[in-house]
Amino acid sequence: MLHRLESLKSCTYDRMDMTVLERQAARLKWQQQNHVVQNNNPAELCASSVPRFQGLVGSNLGSGQMVELKRLEVFLGTDNFQEFLNFPVTGPEFGDSEKLDLLPPEAAADYCISRTSSCQITALDTAVMKEEREDMSLEKMESTIVSGRGSFNKRKAETVADHKSKDKRIKGEGEGESEVKTKCSTEISRNSSKENSKVSEVQKPDYIHVRARRGQATDSHSLAERARREKLSKKMKCLQDLVPGCNKITGKAGMLDEIINYVQSLQRQVEFLSMKIAALNSSVENLPMKEFPAIVANFPAAAKLPEMAGLPCFQLNPLQKESVNCMLNESMHPPQTEGIASASVSISEQSLSSSSMTQLQPFSTWNMDPQGLYNMYNMGFH
Amino acid sequence: MDLQNMNPSSLKSRFATRFLRALTKINAQKPISSSSSREIFQRYRRIKVAADKSMAYSVRSRRSWSRATLWRLRTRSPRSRLATLARRSSVKTRTTRAASHGATVVDRKSHGKENKEDGGVEAEELRELVPGGEAMDLCNLLDETAHYIKCLTTQVQVMRTIANLYSLH
Repeated sequence: MLHRLESLKSCTYDRMDMTVLERQAARLKWQQQNHVVQNNNPAELCASSVPRFQGLVGSNLGSGQMVELKRLEVFLGTDNFQEFLNFPVTGPEFGDSEKLDLLPPEAAADYCISRTSSCQITALDTAVMKEEREDMSLEKMESTIVSGRGSFNKRKAETVADHKSKDKRIKGEGEGESEVKTKCSTEISRNSSKENSKVSEVQKPDYIHVRARRGQATDSHSLAERARREKLSKKMKCLQDLVPGCNKITGKAGMLDEIINYVQSLQRQVEFLSMKIAALNSSVENLPMKEFPAIVANFPAAAKLPEMAGLPCFQLNPLQKESVNCMLNESMHPPQTEGIASASVSISEQSLSSSSMTQLQPFSTWNMDPQGLYNMYNMGFH
Repeated sequence: MDLQNMNPSSLKSRFATRFLRALTKINAQKPISSSSSREIFQRYRRIKVAADKSMAYSVRSRRSWSRATLWRLRTRSPRSRLATLARRSSVKTRTTRAASHGATVVDRKSHGKENKEDGGVEAEELRELVPGGEAMDLCNLLDETAHYIKCLTTQVQVMRTIANLYSLH
């Protein structure tokens, strides 16, 4: 008994200097020292210590906190992580229950020792200790979780490369695995999923970085195929802006048909206009060619049509009409899209026939803008 | 309409100057008095060639279609022996396809190229329309088509203006 008291005195450490860990180490040492003595009279210890303990209970300290503290220290002392994990982190929970669970006799010695060591603890210190304990518990949990997750990551890294849809699976599994959801665990799971969701992380700068979407194949061939298809669709969209009247058409084949028709119509317009210039060239001899370039270049396409409508049109003499006709027939290759050829020939014939009667009509027909002419022959074609 | 604001080096102005220069040359070459249909037809041909040439020269060699057009124009002219030699030594398919643009239309779908199947039949037609499109994959073909359409619209605008100006006088 005296011996024990002396050791107790040695154990009375200044609570300001020592941390929980240090106290724990000291306690372990003390336990080792007293292992031999322990089994002798545990009952006596308990008996002597109980009134003291009850006194402590009646003090300002929350009984739940005290009990929690002791249990935690017991667990730490025994190095039993299994029980530790099941131990609830939340302190206030314990504080609600006022029941004191007396530990079984085999742990009574430890219990008594811890109790005696904590008898000098004031209320302030318990708060500090509780925080320290929580930090330590967090550290402990981190270490367990990290160690567990390390192996988890290694296992998963192999399989993730094959299956792309495991982005969410990893997160779900990560959350389900650790019952205690701490910040570090979620961060770790987030990092691992981020690493695994990138398809091609290449160090060289001249590669194209592509991110595969969920549920899509990830081999290099399909990725290259997908990139090529996206390029093509982008170009088709640009062409849609250039070619008038193809907003409603979706699909590559229809778009290509529209593009082909438009290019053909533009080429034919160039032919028409060169014919017209040729015909006019023969009739008009002298032209002020010096001022032409500036005027021609500055003529906006849209503005000139309403201006020209009011001006007198050209008159094709019969010879010119003939020549234009034969030119049309020659340039219009009959086997080629006959509908278009007939439509355009009919348009030009109409203009030529009516030129003798009215002045403005052929002019307006000849001077139709590309869109108008295109729509006209489209209507004639379909 | 502000005459000073136009960009002097835009495609439109470049083409306009070149084409007008060619037109004056054509006017100066042949006497205008004779206006038979044959003459007018020849003139039309020359004007069309001049239009294509001036357009291709305005684009220089930046685009594949302009390069193909210039090459085609150079080898088509039967003036020099060098030109004929060049034509003979060139790829026969290209010149024959260019020359017989309209004649082989019926057989267009029958001998479609097997090695460039990625666009289908429509891509084949597009390749024939755009100069120099035979040797291109679909991706580049679409690029060239877009630029070609833009240049064609400029060409049509300028030629229409010229025709209107002609008709005024």
